[in-house]
Amino acid sequence: MAGFLQQLVQGLGAGAIYASLALALVLIYQFTGIVNFAQGELAMFSTYIAWQLTAAGLPFWLALVTTLAVSFAGGMLIERVIIRPVEGAPELTLVIVTVGLFIFVNAAAGWIWTFLIKDFPNPFPAGALEAGGISVSFSTLGVLAVVGVVMGLLYVLFRHTKIGLGMRAVATNPESARLVGIRVGWTLALGWGLASTVGAVSGVLVAPLLFLEPNMMGGVLIYAFAAATLGGFDSPMGAVAGGLIVGVAETLAGAYVGFIGSDLKVGVPLVIILGVLLLRPQGLFGRAVVERA
Amino acid sequence: MTDLVVEELTAGYGDARVLHGVSLTVGQGEICAILGPNGAGKTTLLRALSGMIRARGTVTLGGADLTGRSPDTLARQGIAHVPEGRGTFMPLTVEENLRLGAYVRRRGADVEADLDRIHTYFPVLKTRLKQAAGSLSGGEQQMLAIGRALMSRPRLLLLDEPSLGLAPLVTRELFRIVQAINAEERTTVVVVEQNAHLALGIAQQAHVLETGRIVLSGTAEEIRADEQVAQSYLGYRV
Repeated sequence: MAGFLQQLVQGLGAGAIYASLALALVLIYQFTGIVNFAQGELAMFSTYIAWQLTAAGLPFWLALVTTLAVSFAGGMLIERVIIRPVEGAPELTLVIVTVGLFIFVNAAAGWIWTFLIKDFPNPFPAGALEAGGISVSFSTLGVLAVVGVVMGLLYVLFRHTKIGLGMRAVATNPESARLVGIRVGWTLALGWGLASTVGAVSGVLVAPLLFLEPNMMGGVLIYAFAAATLGGFDSPMGAVAGGLIVGVAETLAGAYVGFIGSDLKVGVPLVIILGVLLLRPQGLFGRAVVERA
Repeated sequence: MTDLVVEELTAGYGDARVLHGVSLTVGQGEICAILGPNGAGKTTLLRALSGMIRARGTVTLGGADLTGRSPDTLARQGIAHVPEGRGTFMPLTVEENLRLGAYVRRRGADVEADLDRIHTYFPVLKTRLKQAAGSLSGGEQQMLAIGRALMSRPRLLLLDEPSLGLAPLVTRELFRIVQAINAEERTTVVVVEQNAHLALGIAQQAHVLETGRIVLSGTAEEIRADEQVAQSYLGYRV
């Protein structure tokens, strides 16, 4: 039993990271209807910025705040410069643009920082909290706490501020939002900025667990896609729940299903994506779109 | 005193021109009805006035030139457009819909007092504040849309087919409220309406639009007395 709980907590820790990247995906999808394949790469790039700042001697948390601010501005800039010209274009065009952005950001990171792996400092103390026969590392607790705080802040932003209300209005009915005086273009840019910031959090959290290198987010992005698909691409709440479920499922499958082990773990999100698309395409918390023929 | 002045307005969609030089004026605090058959360009006229589509010609409101501005700028200039289909933010609550109407108001504006004011016009909305707007009936959604528009304290209210899809009793109630709003707030109103009886009942002046041109203008009484209008839009001979 203790062993099971141990795995469960570990799964939640991993899931929290997937949840934050999934949340970034969902934010952008809600505002612009774009599935941003470059989300993981943007997070990776942000993580490199954080690494560069700490390498230059900045204390970790100051480096983090600076990184989040830069990511926010970068996300807005990308929306204005790269996404705006293709706004409303067919889906295939949008997919190609974000895949292009993926390749560009990946190559740029490799060009600037090389493809050699780097150690990323772990902001949380080593050691673990022992309770009831299970031990939870401070690192896992830290990840859960940070992701929890980010979710809380987003909740307050969307539910209790005027800007958040305006953003939700744009996500549900852009034309009507324009008529009540909301500057829709800026709101979309704001959405990209927020998504980049939330994605950066996931990158900075995952980097100490993996190694920092330009391809580090590849796997995480797949888990995030599984999480967003499971929770529903139009539901931020669902993205978080989906992330946690995917993290736990992956960890438990790796630990308890003999033939999966740690090698086939990465297959779990793909099975989840396939299962959701077959059984409940709108996801657990998503709304099914019904159109009259 | 004239408030809205429209001169030689042309507009359309892509290459298809719908409005061919429309000119009209509406006095401060007046209700102006736009009548006409389907496809005459009534909705297009309102869309051009609120900046939803590009238009050529000149539009001034209270002396300020508003030609070619974007919808969000025009909303800040005091134009509130209740579009065809009502523009409801379906998943948001009724209260959130109303608060969005006040989005352009300055910080510290008395939004709470305005919410109360809306509730006196539309008491039914007060009982449904926490409900998703999409769950309201058609009539309630139309009230919500007008309420949302009033929350911006507009100088000019544009109403597109408020009667569309509503029961006759509900429609009559709605027009009565629009008239009350106009009387109390001195808001200038331009209403596009298929139901000519109702529209002429509350308007001071009216214009008949056909294939993108104004073919007849006058006071509501004059238009009502016009034989051709009677035949085409009122369904009887004078």
